[in-house]
Order: sequence, then structure tokens, then C-alpha cells
Amino acid sequence: MVEVTLAVRNELGLHARAAARLVRTANQFQSHLRLERIDGSLSADAKSILNVLMLAASGGTMLRAIAEGTDETEAIAALAGLFEDGFGELES
Amino acid sequence: MISDLTSQPVERRWQGLSVSEGLVVGRVLRIHRGTRYVFPARIEVGDVAKEIERFRSALEQARTQLLAIKERAATAMGPDHAYIFDAHLLLLEDRKLTEEIESYITRKRANAEWAVKVLGDRLLSVYAEIKDEYLRERGSDIEDVIHRVLEALSGERATYLDLNEDAVIVSEDLLPSAVAELDLAHARAIVTDVGGWTSHTAIIARGLGIPAMVGLGNLCQYARTGDGIVVDSYHGEVILHPSPKTIEQCRAEMQKRSGKGAVVPTNGTGVATTSDGLEIRLRANVELPAEFAGVEKYGALGIGLYRSEFLLAQPGVMLSETKQFRAYAELAELAGPHGAIVRLFDLGGDKSSDSIIDSERNPALGLRAIRFCLRNEAVLRTQVRAIMRAAAKGRLDIVLPMVSDVSDVVRAKEIIAEERSKLEGAGEAAGKVRVGAMIEVPSAVFTAEKIAGVVDFFELGTNDLVQYILAVDRSNDKVAAWFRSLHPAVLESISHTLKAAQEAAIPAIVCGEMASTPVYAVILVGLGATDLSMTPSAIPRVTRALKGIESRAAISIATECLACATADEVEDIVRERFQSHWPQLFSPDTLPAKKAGR
Repeated sequence: MVEVTLAVRNELGLHARAAARLVRTANQFQSHLRLERIDGSLSADAKSILNVLMLAASGGTMLRAIAEGTDETEAIAALAGLFEDGFGELES
Repeated sequence: MISDLTSQPVERRWQGLSVSEGLVVGRVLRIHRGTRYVFPARIEVGDVAKEIERFRSALEQARTQLLAIKERAATAMGPDHAYIFDAHLLLLEDRKLTEEIESYITRKRANAEWAVKVLGDRLLSVYAEIKDEYLRERGSDIEDVIHRVLEALSGERATYLDLNEDAVIVSEDLLPSAVAELDLAHARAIVTDVGGWTSHTAIIARGLGIPAMVGLGNLCQYARTGDGIVVDSYHGEVILHPSPKTIEQCRAEMQKRSGKGAVVPTNGTGVATTSDGLEIRLRANVELPAEFAGVEKYGALGIGLYRSEFLLAQPGVMLSETKQFRAYAELAELAGPHGAIVRLFDLGGDKSSDSIIDSERNPALGLRAIRFCLRNEAVLRTQVRAIMRAAAKGRLDIVLPMVSDVSDVVRAKEIIAEERSKLEGAGEAAGKVRVGAMIEVPSAVFTAEKIAGVVDFFELGTNDLVQYILAVDRSNDKVAAWFRSLHPAVLESISHTLKAAQEAAIPAIVCGEMASTPVYAVILVGLGATDLSMTPSAIPRVTRALKGIESRAAISIATECLACATADEVEDIVRERFQSHWPQLFSPDTLPAKKAGR
């Protein structure tokens, strides 16, 4: 199991478009992928867009990503990359 | 309405506002919007499997539609508009949702429609609890998907996909998002129950060069997909279930008109010379990539107005400098040697992409256009940097929307100069851009001489100018009788502004909707305009009108109009003089119709 803490860096948070990118990426991996609010109040299957949207992660929210499976390291790295890049919505 | 089901439906007529000229006989393609009524039904145990199968095939159908829409949106409106449909696709594919719906069908022996509705509503109510306002509003995406599945279940959508050659789009209102869904290039006409001259429907229809009417009231309640329909925007009329006799009359009129009215697009030169030798330069107004082709096709002298806020695919999502740079560079390339004038983001007011702005009680008089840009300096700075970088690759100029007076211009120019020196300091190429002011509010008209001293050119946005000079909300049907483009006060404002530009020896481009209507274009020339910018498809008809008139006569008519007290008086003069001077150019139905009294 791999676990990492990620920040939602783009201003608008995990809205439909950003969530779509996240879910598409998550679905490329075998591993189980979960996202949780850092306070543990909400948890989501990263492969379900509905779940991800329900996290209501606005800009600045801290999330914990947990991966478990054969490709867990790669999966976490891919997710971390998306968060780092603000889902392509950061002002350059 | 009581009708005999066996007989032919009775012909029925509606009056509305014609926003794009033309006459079309076709069939209704009804576009739904709003609440759909769904009723519960209990199904037999033995039918559960069949119901689930029906649900799955509706999902598959919705998916196929979305894939097509996504592709179309990407080509017609740019990739940024297409991403949103990717989210819709994922929602459809979400196993959690589909499993829940299927389990509901099984447990409750519910019909698929009801199961989709119940679980959809449940989902939406959870979504409505979200505290972050922006994320909460995204519930509309879920609503959209649910709506699509329900539509697929009802089977109504079948006709929607293969847009017939004679499809007349009938809708309550055409939302900007609907544009992506429809293959509008094949639509013959658009009619909507609500809307005004400058509504989205109107702008798009004129861009596509197809007839459109708005403000039809309750047509949608009666029109059904497949019904026969006539759209006659020359006479401001829509006829549902036209009788064979009516159709015949319409075809005869179409025949008659195709002789003189239809103007074949020619590779124009972008300059129309009046019969007494005055040259009028014609540019194009564009917003969507779909319209870009028209610039060359109709021979525009570059792009006179690029409404940059249409770049913002999603409300509230600001584009990065890089993405804007690419868009402006493409624009410059398209516009060619004559260049393009980029209007800075005109956000606020009735514009659609305004959710960054908190709601205001009086948005038309609120924080919009240049005011918004000056209060959101980061947005402004990003945009002008992107424009200047793109201007290094092709000719681009900037126009400041809705300036109040010299102060707005001075501050905006300071910011532009600062960003220029930052770019140069960083070794980035920044092209030369001229800075102009949109004159569209009374304070700018009254101080036009002063503003002319600090800008390189003027643009007259007549849509807003009419609204602000007359204090009439252009989207409010109730005061439509007060919205008169030919009001003497409007003409006086235009004349005053054009004179101020002339005295300062700067160009003034008239770029509102007025410029795209031949009669108005002639009056604008009479008031002193030598530069017009319009929706590309209007260029041939405006060229044709201008070539046929003498500018001296236009000036004398305009002078007479300026002396009038009311719009009715102006229109009387216009009707009378145009008919006596140029009967071959302006048939009575192309002239302003006599208005009913207030």
C-alpha cells in the first residue's frame, strides 16, 4: 500500500473537467485507488467520477491518496503529477 | 385547444421579432430544455431483465451521442469546450451509478425512467449540499447527463441526431451549450420563445446566415418535431402546420426573392465603393472558430471585432496565458495583413461566462467589461501579455470595452505599457498593438473628443449604445417597443462620436449589429461612418447596398433624421426616402416596418 498527501492546487478545485482527468488517469491502473479528505470526513473511489465529485474538493483542499495493488507506485505517481500540475489549470 | 385528431391540424400563426432575415419552409426539430415529467410504473417480475436491458441500451445510445457531440464541439468551438463532455461520458460510464439504478429497477420493480429520476434526484440533492459554490453549481453537469439518459429512454432523440435538410430548430431558448450539440450548419432556421435582437440565438443565426426569429411566446407548447413550419422573418411571422396554399405562396415568394434578394458570396475586396466614389471598409466580427471560414469567404478586410470572452469555455475558468497566446496567434494568422482587433474580456452584464462575478443587482450598470478588467488586474495583465506576444507574429490591436471616460483608458494603457516592458525585460518578443476605445455608454459619447486624444481608434458598439442611451434592457421583451436603433438620440450619439474621431484624425469603426443590416449601414454612412464591422455573412448584402447608393444622398437623409424628435419620425423618413431614391435596392419589406403605438 502506498499513501501520499496531495493538495488541490487549481483555484476551482475538482470540478467536472478536472475530475474527468483524474478519473481517466485512475482507470489506467489495476490498483485500488482511494482519495480521502485529510480529516477523514469523506472518502472516494478515484475511479468513480461521481465519488470524486462528491468529495467537493475546492481549491486548497488537502487530500490523502491511497493505492493498493500491483501498480500502486506508478498509480500514485500519476495522480501526484496531475495534482502538481493543477489539472492543467494553473496560471503560468 | 380542441382538435379533430383525424383531420389536418389547423394552420396557426405566431408573431415575433425577426433577428436574422429569410424565408424557409421546413419541418420542426424541437429542442427540449427544462423539466421533464417522469411517472412511476410498476413492472412485472418477468419484465425486470427486459427493463434493465432497455436502460443499458439507453445508456449506450446516450454514450454514442456524447462521443459525437464531443468531437463536433472540438472542431466547431475548440478543444476547451469539448472537455466538459468528457466528464459527461465518465458519468455515464460510472459503475456506481449504473449499478444503483439497476438495483433499484430490480428491487422496486420500477420502470427505468423512474429509477433514473429517483437516483438522479437523490444525487443532485447530495450535490446541492456542497458548500463550495462553484463545485455545487457543477450539479448541472449531472442534471444534463440524467436528462440525456431520460431522453434516450423516451426515444425522442432519434430525430435529433440526423438533422434533416429542412430542420427548423424550435426551442424555448437556445443556450450557448446547445450550440455544441447541434449540427447547426445543417439547420435551416432557428426560432425561440424568448430572446432579443442580441440574444445568443440571434448572433449565431446571423453568423450562419440562416433566418431566425425570437420572442414567439408559446410556440414551443404547440410545435412538435416533424410538424410542418414556415419561418418568414421578412414579415415577422411563424406559421405552424401551413396549409398547402400557404406553402405554395411561400415558395412563390422564395422564388421571387432568389432573383433579387439572395446575394451569392463573392470574394469581395473588403471595400465597398458608393456610386459617387466614397470607399467604405468592411471588416468581420467573429467569436467562434466555426465563423472563421467566413472571413475569407466573404472577403472581409480583417477582423474588426473579436469578442475574446468567447474563448472562455467554462464560466469562471480563466485561460492560461499560453492558451490565450495560441488563440490570439491563430486569430492574427487568420486575419491576415489587415489584422484583428481583440476586444478585452467583456465579462458581466448579460454575458454568459460571468460566474466569476458575484451577482449584482444591476449587472448592466455594474462591474463589467473594462471595469471588471481593472478590478481583476491579474486577468487583464495575463490577457494583454498574451495579445502582445501574439502580436509579434501578426497584426493585432486591442480595444477596451465600455470605457466610461479618459481615466479608464489611461489606467488600462499604463498596465499595457508595464506588461510590455516586463515582456521586453524578459527577452520576450512583444508586437506593436494599437489601443482603441469602445464608445458605447453616454459618458463616453459626451467626452468622445477627450477620449479621442488618448486612443489610436474608436469602435462604436451600437448594441450597447442603444441600450444605454435609451435606458432600455435589450433582453426584456416588455420594453421591446422602446428599443429603437433609429432613435434620434442614438443617431445623434453616433454622429457626435464619428465627428470627434474625424477631428482627432483617428479611425472609427462601427461594429454593432446595426452595421450588418443594409438600411442601417446606409444611415451609418450618412452619419459619417467609413468603417463598418459585421457578422461575415452580412458582408455581401451590405456591399450590394452600399455600391448602389450615393453617399451624398445618404448624408442628406441622415441629416434629416437627426432633426427628428422620435424614432417613428426617423423611420417614416427612412421608408419614404429610401423608396424614392433606391426602389430597386430596398423593397418595402427590407425597410423598418411601421410600429404600433405605445
